[in-house]
Amino acid sequence: MTEIKKTPLHSLHKQLKAKMVNFGGWDMPVQYESVLAEHKYVREHCGIFDVSHMGEIIVEGKDALAYLQGITVNDVSRLELGHGQYSALPTEDAGFIDDLIIYRVGAERYFLCVNASNIEKDFEWLKKHKGEHTVTITNESPMWSQLAVQGPESEEALKAILSPSDQARVADLPYTNITEASFQGKKGFIARTGYTGEKGYEIYIPNAIASSVFAELLEKSNAKPIGLGARDTLRLEACYLLYGNDMDETVSPIEAGIAWAVRFEKGDFLGKAKMEAQKAGTLPARKMVAFKLSEEGIARHGMDVYVGDRKVGVVTSGSVLPTVEGAGGMALIEKDAAALGDDLSIDVRGKRKLAKVVKRPLYSAKVK
Amino acid sequence: MSFPKELKYTREHEWVRLEGNTAAIGITSYALEQLGDVVHLDLPKVGETFKAGSTFGSIESTKTVSDLYMPITGKVTEINAAIAKKLEGLSDDPYVAGWLIKISFASNDGELMAPADYQKLIAEEE
Repeated sequence: MTEIKKTPLHSLHKQLKAKMVNFGGWDMPVQYESVLAEHKYVREHCGIFDVSHMGEIIVEGKDALAYLQGITVNDVSRLELGHGQYSALPTEDAGFIDDLIIYRVGAERYFLCVNASNIEKDFEWLKKHKGEHTVTITNESPMWSQLAVQGPESEEALKAILSPSDQARVADLPYTNITEASFQGKKGFIARTGYTGEKGYEIYIPNAIASSVFAELLEKSNAKPIGLGARDTLRLEACYLLYGNDMDETVSPIEAGIAWAVRFEKGDFLGKAKMEAQKAGTLPARKMVAFKLSEEGIARHGMDVYVGDRKVGVVTSGSVLPTVEGAGGMALIEKDAAALGDDLSIDVRGKRKLAKVVKRPLYSAKVK
Repeated sequence: MSFPKELKYTREHEWVRLEGNTAAIGITSYALEQLGDVVHLDLPKVGETFKAGSTFGSIESTKTVSDLYMPITGKVTEINAAIAKKLEGLSDDPYVAGWLIKISFASNDGELMAPADYQKLIAEEE
């Protein structure tokens, strides 16, 4: 049993009276006040999340582009300097090693933001597939703390702690782009991304100033600290995937509903042939649907999904939907089992509950 | 957190208000604090009978679902429909407005604790 890991903000969370839980080996704040209140505050105002457990891996060198093209699904050649894109690291068999965001931070330098639980696995995978490419791959995760500043008032909150020139960069920063910025005199990055469905930023700062930047944001703006509980309900309403729940090495990007990020035209990449066949329908594939329960109750991860008496899939994520109201989530089901508006029934602890396939996302993101 | 003296308590963090051969049953302020926001309550129907220790319903927070255990073998005579519609009322007033079910029973076969013993139990859990 390895020791539970702590982010540099751990003692600050304790001071703020957060309820802590073990999240993938990390002792993280699940809530400070209440999941529902925190969820609402992010939708209406602004929240700050400690996401320092997330991983940061640097890929650099003259072959960085060619190398990344072969091991990711999105088209890295479309990235101009300072741009970012959502992507996936697929297995040879078209499963997910991980999903990630790739930012181009130099002519031949890329910054990869990966899931906390997959840092070591991803790093080993990246090294293993280096082949003859001239690239250096560095796991910088231990160096960086990451804070997410999310909500309609996030721009104002972030500007409150920045210099006038950095404020101007933030004001002009398009969705998914990244820029350098200075925090308390130290160099960091600001990315216009998030995991809540609201306008927001993810900032990367050195560990030494993580607590003081978090505290400064709380002091100088009306942002509140938000725990992982609300992070989960917020991302679920926006239908963002959660690794280990919605997808893993047995689910393909096509099945998981991110075909928009799979760019077949870019050339060859791991798992391509199978993904193409799944998309064309020549290989069987499941599909990710969003659902809402039509009656009382909550469907959760792992519960079986039926059409009539036939089992057609499984709930991958389910919860109450505080903004949308009611309960719902996402389910991975047989492709032809149900279409938009069709009824499903879900086995909720031995009782069948009626649900309906609805449009994804459950909550229309306002990220732009 | 408070634990009214006139109530009895169970290991499953329920409280029981005994009145002759009837009882009102709810969940303690400690359990509610552990659960966080309660978002769903599944209660039995009036007339159903349950053995002591069996599951009579469930309570769900944003993250977890917990079974509700019958403290005494008995029959459900009333359910609190009002609280099921206004779940935030549970933590506001867990011991009066927050009752969940009322039951009638023939004999009290429950393993019930005095408030002091219950507080000792949760001190150990902390």
